[in-house]
Amino acid sequence: MAAPKNDLVAGTLALMILKTLDTVGSLHGYAIARRIEQISGNQISLNQGTIYPALLRLEQEGWISPKWGKSETGRRVKFYSITRAGKKQIQTEQGDWERAAGIVAKFVTLVRAKA
Amino acid sequence: MRRFVARLFSLFGRSRREQELADEISAHLELSAAEQRANGLSAEEARLTALRRFGGVTQTQEAFRDTHGFPALELMSRDLLFAWRLLRRKPLFAAAAIATVSLGVGANTAVVSVLETALLNPLGLRQADRVMAVRTQFVKLNLFQAEASGVEFREMQSLPEVFSAVASMEGRAWTWLSNDEASRLVGQAVTPDFFNVFGEYPGTGRFFTAEDDEFSVVLSDGLWRARFGADPSAVGRTMWLEKKPYRIVGVAPAGFHFPPNAQLWTRLPLEPVRLLDSERGRNRTLSVFARRKEGVSETQAREHVRRYVDTVISADATHGGDLSKNGYGIELTSFGRYIAGDLRRPLLLLWGAASIVLLTGCANIAGLLLARSSSRHREIAIRIAVGATAARIVRQLLLESLLIAALGGAAGLVVAGVAVALLTRLNLSAVSSLAFASLDSRLLLYGFGLALVSGLLFGMAPAIQLVRQSESARIGHGRRRWSRDLIVAAQVCGALVLIVMTTLLLRSLWAIQRIEPGFDPQGVTTAFFLKPQNDPDFFDRLQARLAATAGVQSAALANPVPFAESGVVSGFAIKNRQESGVQGNAEGFQITPAYFQTLRIPLLRGRNLAPSDTATSPLVCLIDARLAERFFPGLNPIGQEIGMFKGWARIVGVVGAIRRTSLEGESHPAVYYSFAQIPFFPWAAILLRSNVPADSIIRAAVRDANPSVPVYDVRSIEERLGATLEIRRTMIMLLSTFGGISLLLAIVGLYGVTAQVISERTREIAIRTALGARPTQILLPLMRQGLRSALFGLILGLGAVAYAQNWLAGMLYDVAALDPIAVGGTTLGVLMVSLAAVWWPARRVTGIDAQHVLRHE
Repeated sequence: MAAPKNDLVAGTLALMILKTLDTVGSLHGYAIARRIEQISGNQISLNQGTIYPALLRLEQEGWISPKWGKSETGRRVKFYSITRAGKKQIQTEQGDWERAAGIVAKFVTLVRAKA
Repeated sequence: MRRFVARLFSLFGRSRREQELADEISAHLELSAAEQRANGLSAEEARLTALRRFGGVTQTQEAFRDTHGFPALELMSRDLLFAWRLLRRKPLFAAAAIATVSLGVGANTAVVSVLETALLNPLGLRQADRVMAVRTQFVKLNLFQAEASGVEFREMQSLPEVFSAVASMEGRAWTWLSNDEASRLVGQAVTPDFFNVFGEYPGTGRFFTAEDDEFSVVLSDGLWRARFGADPSAVGRTMWLEKKPYRIVGVAPAGFHFPPNAQLWTRLPLEPVRLLDSERGRNRTLSVFARRKEGVSETQAREHVRRYVDTVISADATHGGDLSKNGYGIELTSFGRYIAGDLRRPLLLLWGAASIVLLTGCANIAGLLLARSSSRHREIAIRIAVGATAARIVRQLLLESLLIAALGGAAGLVVAGVAVALLTRLNLSAVSSLAFASLDSRLLLYGFGLALVSGLLFGMAPAIQLVRQSESARIGHGRRRWSRDLIVAAQVCGALVLIVMTTLLLRSLWAIQRIEPGFDPQGVTTAFFLKPQNDPDFFDRLQARLAATAGVQSAALANPVPFAESGVVSGFAIKNRQESGVQGNAEGFQITPAYFQTLRIPLLRGRNLAPSDTATSPLVCLIDARLAERFFPGLNPIGQEIGMFKGWARIVGVVGAIRRTSLEGESHPAVYYSFAQIPFFPWAAILLRSNVPADSIIRAAVRDANPSVPVYDVRSIEERLGATLEIRRTMIMLLSTFGGISLLLAIVGLYGVTAQVISERTREIAIRTALGARPTQILLPLMRQGLRSALFGLILGLGAVAYAQNWLAGMLYDVAALDPIAVGGTTLGVLMVSLAAVWWPARRVTGIDAQHVLRHE
């Protein structure tokens, strides 16, 4: 069963995937993982496998939809694209994230001022 | 929610999804490796890097699976599969347990379905919960639950703060002529609000309105389908009843059967004279029903009506009336009770009995599971040792019980279906509502729920015990198994209670069957017919024809006849008494003189009615011995005059009293008039004493006398008598079946306890036998445990019977609830059976080969 520790990562990962699909369009799993790593300036080194459970969850929520297609190497792979509900979800999660980040940022400056 | 559904669906296409994931992963790894190779790594290095960057393939699959479905559910299905395999491994045990549950659940559900039709949801009328029957009583005259007169109907209508709708109905029967064929229809004449009282809406057409006259008809769904082919255009047509045209205004909805035998309803005209205060207590021919207003409770309604009656009585007293002297009152009965009537108690008793069977059944399965648990001790210990938690084990055990329960419940619903089909075919004349019993979805749910609850019940005991055992096993010897003893005691208790009840009812039936009805019912056949109009000689022609037929010993016409409905009980007065007014109640009969000869009722005093007593001669009557004793004690009633139906009638003779409606019930005193002098009722019956089959004789004679007269309800008096005992017979049959099953289960339980004691102590027994103990010395201690349980159960059972005796007494006749023969005899019987059940397995210990046992230790 999923340990609570992973939830934060899973949550941010979901936002990253949605955002990626929103900007780039339809991508397969490997491309999504690579893209996230590149955008983070290779600061994030994903365990690339973790992306698949996250994709499944997003698919179950109806935020992304899969479609079978051919990869660059000619293999059968699933391409994921964002749905309308997914775009709406980005709005919500982005807002949540910005609020949370803002609060954390305040704490960080607070602590710094004290030091 | 959306995700939940997706996960739920994923429980199915599982393997496909996993295959897809595997495809995706391998494609991912391939793409990743290709990129690494493009960066200049060797093929092998590229593959390894791809794998490293991916993380664990297995972990991914696990995480995927967790996201995918419900892991807990999967665990459960694994447990369920395990339970199923266990059951399959012990088919005999499984069959016994499932059969026990199915019998218990089946019997219980069937009884509840009848209970529901008769009591909880009478006749399936969905809106009848606020309906109350309004009946009158004259406490001092010993008259209860009497029909109402027009006055009470008017008065209930004048209480709009209590009742939202009030209606009256009066029984009717018609000769219906359609396509030159005469048939008899029965139904009710009702006031306009009748259907509103029951909250019903018309199936087709409309119901009555205040504008309708008495020649308007609402058809029952049954008649509409059977005789009008369910044709909607039947509404508006004319039907000829009693040679008068009636207009069909509507059809009642399909589920409406009230009264159960009603084929149609006509509009009841209540002449203003019938609503006058002076009518109170007279002409009590109306069945009045009232619908309580929303928010008015039964108690509030009763209180309201009681206060109202108080004002009526005090007003009456100031005018010198005798309402208070007669103990007048209005009774409100909930519709459920009104329909169930005397059936309420028997039904509740049967339900209790069926529940006892289910509980003893559960107890037995618990016992079987407990016995099995000793053999599973090792398995459980191992599972606990390898790290299974107690909760996990208990869940596993409960799941096994629930599996048995679910299978038993499913089988039980089939049993219930068969039982209900049989019950509805019983055709108890007194319980016409029984025919409408059926299993609906709520009852099926009830039955299945019952099965699952019993599964939890019998699964709990062994589960608790197993866990406790495996805990105590580490310390040393397990503690004594009191739960098993308790279960057996409960079984013996249940069996005893049921068998005592059966015996009591059986003794009541015997006592009733010994009662002399006061006439000779053997060989007398009765049949009702509707009197023809405009045919004054019909009775004479009919009697002459009947008497002339070969094989007929004696024939008479009468209304009513013994053990049939349709009598009229009414108050009567006696001329020249100091107290004027109503002296008491009696049932009025109209007869032809041959009546007493046909039924062999003795003429005790005076003369019989004679052909010379005609419409123009002075009104005369006969009274029965009951009336003579009660109202003319020590006096000669001959020559006295009593007033009942129509002016004063001179008493010319006294005849023997008979049991009129049932053997055991109190009959009203009787007054016999000649048909010629009191021709009031539209129907009459033929009584024929013959030594040949009478059915065709009667039909032929009536047809010869007047072909337009319909004959109905042809039955021998013995059949009618049998029908009055039918409920008791059915009760005894069902209760004895339940009691038998219960006893059987108790025997199995006792046997099991003793057998287990022996299997546990075989070694000890062998040692003692080897040391020279006599068989009885060994036998007795072994039987002690089982016997102690049995005795405890018997004491509990006797307590239960003593506790329920008041409640039981209402169903018994001439037998006390604590009848020493029934209670003592049954207790002794159950004790003997228990002894045998304990002794049977124990007796084998004398055959134990001590050497053999000890060598094999």
